[in-house]
Amino acid sequence: MGEILVELEHVGVAFDVQRNIGGGRYWALEDVNLTLRRGERLGIIGRNGAGKSTLLRVLAGILVPDRGTVRRAPVSCQLLALALGFVGHLSGRDNAVLSGLMLGMRRREIIRRLPAIREFSELGEFFEQPIATYSAGMNMRLAFSVAMQVEPDVLLIDEVLSVGDAEFQHKSHAAMHARTGEGNTIVLVSHDEKQIAERCDRLLWVEQGRSQLEGSLKDVLAAYHRDQHTCGVAA
Amino acid sequence: MRQHLVELILFSTYAELRAEAARSYLGLVWWILEPAMMMGAFWLVFDVILETGGHDYVPFLIIGMAIWQWMKSCITHGGYAIWGNLPMLRQVRLPPLIFPLVAMLSDTVKFAFILALLLVILWSMGYPPNTAYWALPILFAIVFMAAAGAGFIVGALVPLVPDLRFVIEQVLMVVMFLSGVVFPLDQVPAELRWLMDLNPVAVIMDNARGILMHGRLPNWVGLYKVALISVGACVVGVLFVRRLAPRFPKLAS
Repeated sequence: MGEILVELEHVGVAFDVQRNIGGGRYWALEDVNLTLRRGERLGIIGRNGAGKSTLLRVLAGILVPDRGTVRRAPVSCQLLALALGFVGHLSGRDNAVLSGLMLGMRRREIIRRLPAIREFSELGEFFEQPIATYSAGMNMRLAFSVAMQVEPDVLLIDEVLSVGDAEFQHKSHAAMHARTGEGNTIVLVSHDEKQIAERCDRLLWVEQGRSQLEGSLKDVLAAYHRDQHTCGVAA
Repeated sequence: MRQHLVELILFSTYAELRAEAARSYLGLVWWILEPAMMMGAFWLVFDVILETGGHDYVPFLIIGMAIWQWMKSCITHGGYAIWGNLPMLRQVRLPPLIFPLVAMLSDTVKFAFILALLLVILWSMGYPPNTAYWALPILFAIVFMAAAGAGFIVGALVPLVPDLRFVIEQVLMVVMFLSGVVFPLDQVPAELRWLMDLNPVAVIMDNARGILMHGRLPNWVGLYKVALISVGACVVGVLFVRRLAPRFPKLAS
């Protein structure tokens, strides 16, 4: 087994219910335990509002827990974010550099990869035009091409798996596949069980902000289905 | 890590300036035209119509307005920067301080254009370059520190209390009138003089005019006090931002 990269113990995160004096707090995460080792591909499942995305942002170091502890090896954990920091009046090239810097890349590294980004996004001459002139599909192609160049030690994915028209979807799917294949360390949040089953070795089931069950793909999925079934019958 | 943040700050500043220039038809021209129009408006009201100024009033006014506009835009743009970038802070782990810094740096670049215009106007009005000019960089560094300190403090608080935005503009207007930006502070009662000596803006205005109009070196003791206050404000502002940083990603903008 690989070394432990991130470890959460009894982690809880609270949000203010609303911006108001004396407003209450709401615990999006109550008590989550999780261990992530190098080379592991961990899926997180749970119903809507179970705290999956909040958990992902704790792993990314964006949210600091209000209770419990996070231990992190000196590695980069980055949320796959599309179109981060994009500015409409700037060219595709400038936006690629800006977004890459925001995502933690060094400038010369991005500049070295600009040809690859241009190539992958299939923007051609439009790469030098302001992205305000782009169609939504072109924008997504650029965003995805930039995001694919970021190579953190731990990649955190919240539901973004493929974008664009049918042809580009195929390509982005393949790129994602390469990024989430064996040997990569990833944490994936998705409602799509097929995606999870395809890409993850281990699963964490989160329910109402608590870790319910952590284990192999098969065991956790089976337990999750049983629970959904009984809930369905009870309702 | 450090170098990466420097690259991010510099490129973001470039991106912000570039995007701003692209947003309007006249682009870069507005960086000079807008302050020029503002100076013109004050000149019209206070000099032509009210006749408050003497023969030195026009240079007095344009020096004051140029520097004040720089400070004000650093404070407001820097002050709103973290609040405006909350959606970004929810997606990626970045030190929030970079956002006010980028805003202030781009305002400083714009000030460089205005300064060039200001100097040309002053020279053509009979206030030629003089030997005291060497003190200008020191003075401008203090102006930036004062504005940055105020901007950081405001920037840390606005995300938590967005209502502050409605107050800031009015407070800044009062500060402007109490700092001798638009008209001299001759009428301030003697017993309140000490307060004016500690008002960074008033001291900065005095010394800037001394250098640019009269070739007079700054009052170093007074400037030293103001520099200390400004550095103090920066330290407080940075500590505020760092202290409140964990709360920002949880806030709605």
